[in-house]
Amino acid sequence: MAGANDHNAFHDDLGPDDESSIMSPRGLEAFSRKVTSTASHLIGPLSDPTTHPHYANAMSEVTRQLRKPTLQRSMFSMARTTPTDLVRSKLSSREIQSRALSYVPEELLHNIPEDDNSYSLFQGFKASFPELTDEGKKHRRRVSRGRKMIEDNAHTSPDSPHAVHKLKKEKSSMMHELEMLEIRKNMASSEIHEIDNKIANLAGMRKIILERLAGLEQEEALLEHDIMDVEGRLEEAQEIAAEAESIALQTPTKSEEDLAVEKDEDAGFMSQSIYEKLPPSTNTTPSKSKKPRNIRRKSMPILHEHFDPGTMIREMRAHQDSVTALDFDAPFGMMVTAAMDDSVRVWDLNAGRSIGVLEGHTASVRTLQVEDNILATGGMDATIRLWDLSKAHYDPHGSQFGKDDEEDDGMAFENPDDQPVDPPAGSMSDCALFTLQAHVDEITALHFRGDVLVSGSADKTIRHWDLEKGRCVQTLDVMWAAAQASASVSTGEGAWRQTNRAPDQTADFVGALQVFDSALACGTADGMVRLWDLRSGQVHRSLVGHTGPVTCLQFDDVHLVTGSLDRSIRIWDLRTGSIYDAYAYDNPITSMMFDARRIVCAAGEDVVKVYDKVEGRQWDCGAGIAGAEEGKTPAIVERVRIRDGYMIEGRRDGIVGVWTC
Amino acid sequence: MTQLPYAIDAETPLNPAELNVLRAQYEKEGDMVGVQTKFNYAWGLVKSNVRADQHLGVMLLSEIFRTSPERRRECLYYLALGNYKLGNYGEARRYNDLLLEKEPANLQAANLGTLIDDKVAKEGLMGVAIISGVAVAAGVIGGVLLRNLGRKR
Repeated sequence: MAGANDHNAFHDDLGPDDESSIMSPRGLEAFSRKVTSTASHLIGPLSDPTTHPHYANAMSEVTRQLRKPTLQRSMFSMARTTPTDLVRSKLSSREIQSRALSYVPEELLHNIPEDDNSYSLFQGFKASFPELTDEGKKHRRRVSRGRKMIEDNAHTSPDSPHAVHKLKKEKSSMMHELEMLEIRKNMASSEIHEIDNKIANLAGMRKIILERLAGLEQEEALLEHDIMDVEGRLEEAQEIAAEAESIALQTPTKSEEDLAVEKDEDAGFMSQSIYEKLPPSTNTTPSKSKKPRNIRRKSMPILHEHFDPGTMIREMRAHQDSVTALDFDAPFGMMVTAAMDDSVRVWDLNAGRSIGVLEGHTASVRTLQVEDNILATGGMDATIRLWDLSKAHYDPHGSQFGKDDEEDDGMAFENPDDQPVDPPAGSMSDCALFTLQAHVDEITALHFRGDVLVSGSADKTIRHWDLEKGRCVQTLDVMWAAAQASASVSTGEGAWRQTNRAPDQTADFVGALQVFDSALACGTADGMVRLWDLRSGQVHRSLVGHTGPVTCLQFDDVHLVTGSLDRSIRIWDLRTGSIYDAYAYDNPITSMMFDARRIVCAAGEDVVKVYDKVEGRQWDCGAGIAGAEEGKTPAIVERVRIRDGYMIEGRRDGIVGVWTC
Repeated sequence: MTQLPYAIDAETPLNPAELNVLRAQYEKEGDMVGVQTKFNYAWGLVKSNVRADQHLGVMLLSEIFRTSPERRRECLYYLALGNYKLGNYGEARRYNDLLLEKEPANLQAANLGTLIDDKVAKEGLMGVAIISGVAVAAGVIGGVLLRNLGRKR
């Protein structure tokens, strides 16, 4: 109804104009010009401004073009279109709107490429239309049925003229169908083309949004740093306020005169007390260094999840010698690396720089594990050390934003060949918690969960530690357990097996361990995987299969995955104790870990071998892929860890690479 | 097989069921609708006798024109045809002339061109007849009124 009213309103407004032009004897030319001008006034704001030139164009073209045709047409040479069309196009708001929507701007009209389409849209319409309707389907069915009938006829009376005619007709319809099929084929292929274009577009959009996400994460980090700053200042201010209050409580005990006399002293007292109390508060490690850890949990970096699998996040020269062990707590969190050069370094994966060096082990660290803020390291010096990483003196943003000049070069880790920048000495001095000493030979494997830590050593024992009490709870003698097994079971399953090859001196006796409550899995140099019950101290299951020393294992609630120097990865079903899956690489496996989706292995190559459990696909990830193109040969990957698709790998030349997987 | 339909093809509407099939297909593909599907629906709409359908059809055609450059040349013809059916002869001629400029031998476009000219001429004549009729009537009435006034005076 509103539309109708509008329509009327327009009419009323235009009434006098129209009438005058019609009444006047100046003729139709003036009429059309008038209407055009008033109407373009009306639609001016509605449609885009190009309309004006367009109509001007149209009018001039009309006169030019219509000069040549017949007398009859030249009668109306001033109008390119009919009056009804003109009136309608200028007066009805609906018409104007739809015209504006379907209007094609002049510049597009000038940009018409040569078409090289294999079929026209109309042909496409014809070809697809019969398919879309029931009638079409019926038609097709009829045709095929008809064909059969024709065949029958052909058999009965092959030379009747009727049959010839029918066959001809049949042939032509079949030819038509063939043509249709050709067009449909082309349609399908061009549709695929279209979809490819759309995918390319979407990929572009994804890239843009990924960049936006990166920017947001950067902003988030900045803001968190500011929050941390403010929190620190707030804490200081609160402490000062508390201090002032306690002084205020003390001072009233003194007389007014005393107070006046001792004003200077008082000031001295106050500043001294602050001085005494403040250093612990500004320098205290627990409060200060815990902040970054708390802060970090406020926002989880999710950027890496959106990278393409196999993208390098960063690469850093962690050590000058082969990496022997590494682990990290969370994506973009803290990483700890150990190498043959006897050093243990802690890294900030977000900034990619060293936080500090852990000093204490007298020989190189062979195995380590990070869980939350707790780090356990086991070394060739037969000791296990526990560290609290939250006590490090480290401001994750400080040098990144140039606040501390002395640490300003901390970011220079983009280039892996750079010398590692030494973090401030003593930054980790408060981290050491305690040392577990009982083993008599080097620690080759350890694992802890909660309060339970287990360690395997070259002295052929596994020790079970209680972290709360800080002492050894029980010692498991692998050889004894093997002997028990061979004595009780006649078949000898579970006994110590001499591997087919000559005993490998380099292989660790206990290659890998994992504990979960009272369940302990250990892989040893004989290729056996033993499942222990820590409550009884007995082996309750032995998994036989590997023909070389087991170097790595990990289990979840269903499966146990083991890797061995016999070059194979075996996946066991923990419920049945039988093998679930197995695959092998070309070289002995030195390290393996899995997350929800992938099993990643270091198998003596310059790339990490990845097995995608969901897709059942094997692929390579690592520096060796890009290196092959550039003619470089990165060092062989020795150790690998993965958490939530965030993978780190340590190589023989001391470089650590971080990848999305 | 003809590459383009003649104008007469546009005058034969599809039955509602057929048009519904095309619409369903178009709506099913949603935002990611393919050019062919869009065209099928647009062409079905243009063939219709309902003016609103024709409007929508022309709008879809202009969308195709804008988004897929490789189809522009064909689309010119359909836009011309659609606007011709809508009675927007100015637009129709604009598109058709452009197409004829590029493909002078295009029979369908030439045919459409003459059709537009004829329609413009015919409706133009009628328009003049109406306007002149109105003018005569106004003149007569005016005359009568004048005479009446004159008499009263």
